[in-house]
Amino acid sequence: MAYLSMGEAHRRITEYLNRFSDAVSFQDGASLKQLLSVSSNSPSLLSLADSLNVFQDANRLIKQSEKYSQFGEIIAPFFRCMQSYRTGNLLDAYHAFEKAANAFLPEFRNWESAWALEALYVVAYEIRILAERADRELAFNGKSPEKLKGAGSFLMKVFGVLAGKGPKRVGALYVTCQLFKIYFKLGTVNLCRSVIRSIETARIFDFEEFPKRDKVTYMYYTGRLEVFNENFPAADHKLSYALMHCHPHNEANIRMILKYLIPVKLSIGILPKDWLLEKYGLVEYNNVIQALKRGDLRLLREALQEHEDRFLRSGVFLVLEKLELQVYQRLLKKIYIIQKQRDPSKAHQMKLEVIVKALKWLEIDMDLDEVECIVAILIYKNLVKGYFAHKSKVVVLSKQDPFPKLNSKPVNS
Amino acid sequence: MATEPKPATEDVKIDLFEDDDEFEEFEINEEWKVKEEEKEVTQQWEDDWDDDDVNDDFSLQLRKELENNTPKN
Repeated sequence: MAYLSMGEAHRRITEYLNRFSDAVSFQDGASLKQLLSVSSNSPSLLSLADSLNVFQDANRLIKQSEKYSQFGEIIAPFFRCMQSYRTGNLLDAYHAFEKAANAFLPEFRNWESAWALEALYVVAYEIRILAERADRELAFNGKSPEKLKGAGSFLMKVFGVLAGKGPKRVGALYVTCQLFKIYFKLGTVNLCRSVIRSIETARIFDFEEFPKRDKVTYMYYTGRLEVFNENFPAADHKLSYALMHCHPHNEANIRMILKYLIPVKLSIGILPKDWLLEKYGLVEYNNVIQALKRGDLRLLREALQEHEDRFLRSGVFLVLEKLELQVYQRLLKKIYIIQKQRDPSKAHQMKLEVIVKALKWLEIDMDLDEVECIVAILIYKNLVKGYFAHKSKVVVLSKQDPFPKLNSKPVNS
Repeated sequence: MATEPKPATEDVKIDLFEDDDEFEEFEINEEWKVKEEEKEVTQQWEDDWDDDDVNDDFSLQLRKELENNTPKN
């Protein structure tokens, strides 16, 4: 750090105080936002932090004028936050920021119009980011990380301030998305439910009126929740919405959407084109898709095993495992077509033995009873139309549409 | 020497706080329109892939396998 004189430090702190008080008097949300963006590492905030560490007694400056002291409850802890942040003490930085945020919220509530919404957004964002860093520090020191949970409680209060009627409501979705990020990180996704209900049942506010960036983020997270719940039509709707409206240049976000949308699409019988997998580097799905196309059960199992960690982490493993039934269907269909080419009159009679053989060729050992059981499931799930001739161990396929397509619907459960 | 019980490592604790797929923040004031030509990402799906073609390598081998074994039974 370059040498900073006491006089210069004094000047910079006063400048910040003036900018803060001006931003509020002129209702300039964009400026206020910059003044609170701790983690932006903007040169002016870093230089403020350095000045505070030189000057040490900033509280005296806050108290010298009513213009500043009316926001003392926000500014004083904010100053402490900047000092700690600058010296790398993230736990203290979080505590101080939380104090400032708690003082900011009632002020925001009292301002009639929504002019300070941008500043509120940055408070909501910063408290999450600082909490994450504080937790990392806590965990590193062998202590229990709990600040992110605390940030979540604060954001619920913010949500309460925004969720009512009036012009501030447009900000509720941003805060919801910050809450989602916290709950997904903490693994407490069931807590999403109450905010979702509040967003989706509101008659007074149309979802489409929220800003696009928040709608896309919201649909991504609620889509992921629908994947966990195995509600595939809803997941398809939400993730497709996110995909369609996502900023076309934000490839990382598009990739994340696809990571969940692809298994959803697969489970309703729709395949992504190779272009998509290549462009977004989602090669872990290559063999899964190949297995579906071929009816290659062995390849499906290998693909799931090979990328097991990745699929388990993102929570789509169980979804992909259920594709087995579609792969069986495809394999039976291939056997059927091959039989039909040899002897069209007998093609609709499929010996279970033939299926056993095909599976053996794929190095999957199953006896007649097991294969019969699988075929019974396929019939029950309407992936195969037909009936058993038990004595002769033959499945008699329907002459009409023996392998019904899913047509964008999930397999019957 | 007896091995001491390992204390829970930090890795595990930090791992509790992982969501690999955290959506990136968009800029606060960012609004955008997706242009027609940029919608290609939404059009990359096939629902009619389930054809009757059995001339791929997998199917040809499957056919061979089924035919080879048939006479034995």
